Amino acid sequence: MRGEAEMILSTYSWIVALAIIHQLIATSFGSIFDVLDIISKMILEAPSLLMKSVLFNLKPLTQIIVIPGLAFILLFAIIVVWFERKFLARAMLRVGPYYCGGRSGVLQLIADFLKLFLKEIVIPQDAHMALFVSMPVILPTIPALAITLIPFDLDWVLFRAGGLSLPMFFAIAGFSPLIPVFAGWAANNKYTIIGSLRTAFLYISAEIPLVICASAVAIMAGSFDLVRIVEAQSTIWFAIPQFIGFIIFFLGLIIEAERTPFDIPTAEVELVLGWRTEFSGILFGFTMMAEYVSFLAWALLFITLYLGGYNGPNIFGLPLYSHIFWMLFKLAVLVPIVILIRGVFPRLRMDQLLRLGWYYLMPLSILNLSLRWP
Amino acid sequence: MSEPQIEPEIMRISWGPQHPMSGQTRILIDVDGEVVHRLIADLGFTHRGIEKILENRTLLQGLIPIERMAMVDTANIGLGYVLAVEEALGIEPPERANWIRSMICEICRINSHLYAFGLQVESTGYFPAVFLWTTVDREVLLDLMERLTGARWSYNFIIPGGVMNDLPEGFQDKVREAVNYLRGRFRQYWEAMVENAVFEMRCVGVAVLRKEDAIRLGATGPVLRGSGVDMDVRKDEPYAAYGDLDFKVITEQDGDAMARLKVRFHEIEQSLNIIEQVANEIPGGPVRVKIPLFPRPKPGEFLSRVETARGELGIHMFTDGGMNPYRVKINSPSLRNMYVFERLAELNRILVADIPVVINSIDPWYLDCDR
Repeated sequence: MRGEAEMILSTYSWIVALAIIHQLIATSFGSIFDVLDIISKMILEAPSLLMKSVLFNLKPLTQIIVIPGLAFILLFAIIVVWFERKFLARAMLRVGPYYCGGRSGVLQLIADFLKLFLKEIVIPQDAHMALFVSMPVILPTIPALAITLIPFDLDWVLFRAGGLSLPMFFAIAGFSPLIPVFAGWAANNKYTIIGSLRTAFLYISAEIPLVICASAVAIMAGSFDLVRIVEAQSTIWFAIPQFIGFIIFFLGLIIEAERTPFDIPTAEVELVLGWRTEFSGILFGFTMMAEYVSFLAWALLFITLYLGGYNGPNIFGLPLYSHIFWMLFKLAVLVPIVILIRGVFPRLRMDQLLRLGWYYLMPLSILNLSLRWP
Repeated sequence: MSEPQIEPEIMRISWGPQHPMSGQTRILIDVDGEVVHRLIADLGFTHRGIEKILENRTLLQGLIPIERMAMVDTANIGLGYVLAVEEALGIEPPERANWIRSMICEICRINSHLYAFGLQVESTGYFPAVFLWTTVDREVLLDLMERLTGARWSYNFIIPGGVMNDLPEGFQDKVREAVNYLRGRFRQYWEAMVENAVFEMRCVGVAVLRKEDAIRLGATGPVLRGSGVDMDVRKDEPYAAYGDLDFKVITEQDGDAMARLKVRFHEIEQSLNIIEQVANEIPGGPVRVKIPLFPRPKPGEFLSRVETARGELGIHMFTDGGMNPYRVKINSPSLRNMYVFERLAELNRILVADIPVVINSIDPWYLDCDR
């Protein structure tokens, strides 16, 4: 009896203490909690939003299903994988996929997807079952969630976060390195553990310069709102006044998307497949898809911050269509450049990447920030 | 050492034989984080007992299994065996045969070096563009050899007493065409590899083998010459037509992975020069002398040394007067270089990411190691 009373009392005092601490932190770091609130609201309100859209109007439904929602993301992943195979095959004096779907090999990806889908999922005996199965499934949803913040037109934003949209993008994307770390640990293999630790190092060295560069853009535009950043670029793209930031963000985009020459966590010739080594079947498919979705998210942010976002001459009658067209057009120019880098450069070593991140990108991004200070 | 004297927590990784880059061997790696403390090469996965097989074959039959030791470098190894057999039988090949032998050996050397630096480039994480370029360019040489010998691999063309056949009609022109084509391609390789900034970062200063270490550990071939030691059996004890041919021994002073790559690169240029010289200046005459089908060697010990693409190959043959050799000892260059590979982690600071670069700069052929 006495023990129970003590327990209740101590629990109560703990709750009070936590509430006070929460209050203290909330007053000082209010914006972080706002971001977390909005994320949780997004997750909680998604079903009701869907219901509303079905019942009342078709615009949010189109945004969720067509662009920038599911169909866009999945089609991007499929088209880019196909394009990468064909494009890099030219660099290697090959022809690429050739038999499925004619000379162009367009059906090869569907065949690959079916193969991955029908294959048995092998779970290692010593693996942490729940984490091992759940992590690859969660992984592609994180960059996909970040894509909802990107404006495709003045009011064609899937989730309107106002002045919080740029910090929120980084807050959401900041979760993505956790998943490989957990997944690598859960697989309980030496190669996966080394790979997951490399992931953590990689993101730390890349994300801070990225945030600093993005804040320099926000200072120049006078707002953290992505829509207003795009509107501020209607006369001149920020790539020109912020050239250093432009270069740093381009490198950071490749690092964040884990593409060559920075695909260190999944270095095939060193670590088999890094933290992905033990995944098989559709779980492996999810990890590969996540790579391309994250590439898409960062490429869209790059276009939004530096390449004028959806700005462009009005070529269709309706501004909405031409805005979406210009967004896709800029993406179609950026993606082959990033892919071509894979055919031209070897992979950096972990220590060389850390040196690049901390010795060069970080001071340069701070320089970039101070140069633009009003 | 300024590191704290705490017993580090060592993790042992088994690298291969099921690994994208390991080849047919297993390397045990003791790592502390990313730093490699020890390398142990666990060879023997492809042991076929070639030395024992040779004891049960006549001298001419022995040529077939021994050329399987390193398929990419088959003529050089075959020539090593043939030189020992010729010494045992006391026969001398005609001069034209010697020149043809040199040409085939140099074509094999180019083949092998192209494969080696294709692999080294791929091991730095180059999406395999350069590796496939080398594969395509080797096709030119393989077509050439198919025209000459009828086989793309494992020619068995160099036989005791000379070579199988004379050069076919118009072969010299084809050789000149191939040489010109390859010279044009090598400029592209140089730009893609040596002048590529990231590739340079990955190879320069990695796994440095100093001159005295290279000599002490018994390195051979491009590994030894990459450390600045001027040693090449082709120059030191000329065999075949190498005494009459004009070529340089390539050395590099740095001793790192890039130096070994550069040695291979410049050796290919020298080999192209040799091939061109042979095509232009080959003397006339017969290409083989008659030998009996089942020759009986005189009893004794016979030794031959040749410079294969991976280094010095020694064949030590004992005969007791029977039709088969009593014992054949093969001193394989790849095995000698694998000893060097094991010591490299003690001589340098090697990271996990460096291991594929290091092993492919040493360029062992595991079938050759295991015999």
